[in-house]
Amino acid sequence: MEAKWVAVSQEDRKGKGGSANAGPPSNGDNKLASSVSKMRATAQALAAKQREISVSEFFAKNRHLLGFDNPRKALLTTVKEAVDNALDACEEAGILPEVWIQIQPTGENRFRVDVQDNGPGIVKKQIPLIFGKLLYGSKFHRLRMSRGQQGIGISAAGMYGLLTTGKPVKIVSKIARDKPAHYYEIQIDTKRNVPEILNGRGDGEDIPPNETGRQYMEKRGIAWIELEHGTRVTIELEGRYQRGRGSVEEYLELTALANPHVTIHYQDPEGHQTSYQRLTEQLPPEPKEIKPHPYGVELGVLVAMLRETEATTLARFLKESFSRVSDSVAQRICEAAKLSGRANPRRLSRQEAEALYQAIQQTKIPAPATDCVWPIGEQLLLRALHQMVPAEFYAAATRPPAVYRGNPFIVEVALAYGGTPPIQRISREAFEDLLAETDARTLRQFLAATFDGMGASAADKILHEAQLPRRIMPSNLDEDQRNRLYETIRNVNLFEGQTMTVLRYANRVPLLFQAGACAITQTVMQTNWRLYGLEQARGALPTGPVTLMVHIASVWVPFTSESKEAIAAYPEIQRELRLALQAVGRKLGMYLRRRQRAAHEGQRRNLFLRYLGEVATAVSMITPVDREKLYEKLVSVAKRKTAQADLEFDEHGRPVELPQLTAQDYGGGVLVVDPPDAQQPNPLASPEGLETQQPAQTPSRQP
Amino acid sequence: MAKRTAKSELEQVVVNPSRLPPADRRTFERLQRLAERVVTAAELGRDPVLDVPARTLSNIQYNPKKGILQMGSATNRRHLFNLNQARSFMQTLLVASGAARLIAQGKTTSLRGMYYLLKHTIEGAREETFDEQEESDSAIEDLEVLLNALREELHLYAKNAGAMVGEIVLVDSGDVIDCSRMGSGGYSIPSIVEPEVIQFRKCNAKFILHVEKDTVWRRFNEDKFWKKHHCILTHGGGQPPRGVRRLLYRMHHELKLPVYCLLDNDPWGYYIYSVIKQGSINLAYESQRMAIPAARFLGLRAKDYEQCGLSPSVRIALNETDRRRAKQIAKYPWFAKKEWQKEIKQLLDNGFKLEVEALISKDISYVTEEYTPKRLRDRDWLD
Repeated sequence: MEAKWVAVSQEDRKGKGGSANAGPPSNGDNKLASSVSKMRATAQALAAKQREISVSEFFAKNRHLLGFDNPRKALLTTVKEAVDNALDACEEAGILPEVWIQIQPTGENRFRVDVQDNGPGIVKKQIPLIFGKLLYGSKFHRLRMSRGQQGIGISAAGMYGLLTTGKPVKIVSKIARDKPAHYYEIQIDTKRNVPEILNGRGDGEDIPPNETGRQYMEKRGIAWIELEHGTRVTIELEGRYQRGRGSVEEYLELTALANPHVTIHYQDPEGHQTSYQRLTEQLPPEPKEIKPHPYGVELGVLVAMLRETEATTLARFLKESFSRVSDSVAQRICEAAKLSGRANPRRLSRQEAEALYQAIQQTKIPAPATDCVWPIGEQLLLRALHQMVPAEFYAAATRPPAVYRGNPFIVEVALAYGGTPPIQRISREAFEDLLAETDARTLRQFLAATFDGMGASAADKILHEAQLPRRIMPSNLDEDQRNRLYETIRNVNLFEGQTMTVLRYANRVPLLFQAGACAITQTVMQTNWRLYGLEQARGALPTGPVTLMVHIASVWVPFTSESKEAIAAYPEIQRELRLALQAVGRKLGMYLRRRQRAAHEGQRRNLFLRYLGEVATAVSMITPVDREKLYEKLVSVAKRKTAQADLEFDEHGRPVELPQLTAQDYGGGVLVVDPPDAQQPNPLASPEGLETQQPAQTPSRQP
Repeated sequence: MAKRTAKSELEQVVVNPSRLPPADRRTFERLQRLAERVVTAAELGRDPVLDVPARTLSNIQYNPKKGILQMGSATNRRHLFNLNQARSFMQTLLVASGAARLIAQGKTTSLRGMYYLLKHTIEGAREETFDEQEESDSAIEDLEVLLNALREELHLYAKNAGAMVGEIVLVDSGDVIDCSRMGSGGYSIPSIVEPEVIQFRKCNAKFILHVEKDTVWRRFNEDKFWKKHHCILTHGGGQPPRGVRRLLYRMHHELKLPVYCLLDNDPWGYYIYSVIKQGSINLAYESQRMAIPAARFLGLRAKDYEQCGLSPSVRIALNETDRRRAKQIAKYPWFAKKEWQKEIKQLLDNGFKLEVEALISKDISYVTEEYTPKRLRDRDWLD
């Protein structure tokens, strides 16, 4: 595959670039090169090779920057970019999103990915640009909270598909019931970064909204779910389908978790269908678009803005281009920069621009408006997490908005404690599938890499209990060993060996890779969880049956790379993260301490009950007294003595529940579910505004 | 189920303690009062408690007038409904029931026997009544102080330790024992030496020589020291068990025999002497019946290394524990005498300890033929 990629780009170069010489100085430059002794290349020779690099070319070479570093990830990234776009489009148009995703194998290591949404559709002339040109989009030039922000993603996916399979991107889009659907087959011209339309003589096809149209689509094999409006993207690409960590399934599940207003239908390459129903009919509020805050603008950007502005005076430029700049603030900035408010902004010299930049930093400007970022909200987080992760205690905290580099952002954290780890919830079939698909070399590696919250120690524990060698290849297991492994996984106590599962989100998009490089993971590790009753080695993730969900919403999320996998560690962001983590940590601590106390009380009573029998017997042996009567009396004293915290005294001496703390006692944002041994999962027993009960909507899996 | 049968066996006897011999009846009534306290508390709906006299150094007082250690009046209240005390509360009552059983049946057993008698799995739990013998031993000591009864009165004995030879004839459980005809092994001193068990028949001895351990005792016995000097020769195998101490006490008081001790020159030797003389911290409640304030410390003394001209190779350097213990002992009020302070100081200054066997380096029988007779003759001892 690598070879093919290189071949294509070299062909391009020869065909269109013309003059460029591929090898070291040779041919015509020979003479010149030899006359200048020992000089390897002359300025002229170098100049002949210096030319503009197209964005598309750059990213074609550096596809790992966009998340296409390996076939497995490429498949995921393609789905992810399409789904992110679909959700953005729906929300922007105020439509409750419903997304259909279909992955079909079309050959060895080849898949066709179809993603359709019920969004507003795209007007005809924009379609080729959106899907066939890198860095084209509505999101880069504005500051508004959205999933996509660069305008690279979906066109890069199309480019990858084209480069690996030669197949164009296919788009069907429809904007209203009685309007025709537009059908395009597009490929990107990497050299020039422009779309090439392949069908309808370079103009696309219009499919009328009637029976004829439907028949036409069927005949041409154009897939389309009948909707009044929406968009469907089809990309064929070279990829690898594998379940487990970092898979399409995981991405969709996590997306559903952070987007409770979205319904997702998914069909995997084997034809299994999964659906995630929405938990709420309410769209998140529409995030406002804001102008940049003066504090967030760098000098270079400021210079560019000055050059391009249409404002006639400097004061007006400041007021119109930035948020939170009033007349008086503009006045003060100008004064500090020793510039006239009436100067022509386009004529500012470099020195003057720098003075302006310094003046902005020195002037006191109000923090940016924060109604442009919307959190998921504590209540929805609790509900969503409860839906996805069966546990006994949930807590959530949403921080008030804060600002980094002039960009507003919000951090929110939700936590689930208890319940069975993901590996123990897996079905036998799914387990067999995972075993068959894995490319892990050893069983231990397979366990640790496939399942969330599985530390190396938990993997070792399982293998030890199952009496299987650590180094065995997963594919070499025989029937008996597989049975044993599965049984052990279900039965072994993984409570201690489990590490915290951290689910990271940026603008409601799950981040699946580069956990170590991400500010979220780093801050979780730096937080002292021992204070809240969890075990934690220094500088590591805490252990325990904990799932942590961290969401950062911002008008501009600072990713460490274009593939948007990790969040950069700005001190302001880390500070907010820390405060949010501490907030849920405190709630967890309260719960755990209380639970511990309940267990302690139970133990205490058990202890007394045990000893009372012995004491009664001993006493009755020494002095004539009825043993049973004495025992009864002692038990009744014991009841009174231990009944301080709990009034229920159960016959079998089992620990009895303490009266539940209400959410208010925790300071809000918690959900306590009956412990798992109460058998029936008690749906959402929170006293706090969760009365709108949804029927249980666990993702259903139908073969 | 063994518990049930034991109970029914017992009930026949329990009903009428007046059938028991007088000494046992007294102990038994005390046991019953203890049990009644639990019953009363339960009936009143109170938390049953035991006030166990504190067996700690802070509750020990040295009575300079009597020259013995005595227990103070401090008690530790033990609650049944306290997490940390519930188990030992139960254990104390179990031991009480065990003792009641032994008394009712007129039998005796060892500490270990008691441990096995009472050890069983608690009903409905995976817990044993006693995990280790130490637990039942400690419960027994608690019971002793609670009832102000001796271990022997609870029908318990320790294993025999210590031996005796000498010019005395006694009766042990009806058998006449002539301690001058005990061969090389000597008469093994039982742990119960109360007048009911042992009576003195005839005594020609003039004094008692108590040595620390068996090896030294053998040297003296082999050399027939007791025959030459008309004495009784005992050893207690290190820290003398209560049987040995009680027998020394009885011989000292009833036969008016002075007691001389020949022990190692180290903090432990000093402490053995003080236990014989004033009583031990742990068993202070028994000092009354065991301590011999007139006992004398014959040796070894810190000065002996030079005085006897011992070779340097017999010295054993003091380690940190030894030094600490020596300083601790120096602070005990019953070692406050000037001579004793001087002795301990000299030990510390020497920086080494001496075992009695070190005298063998002079001559095998140096200790029996020269050292001890000379000390006795010169009345060179510590008091």
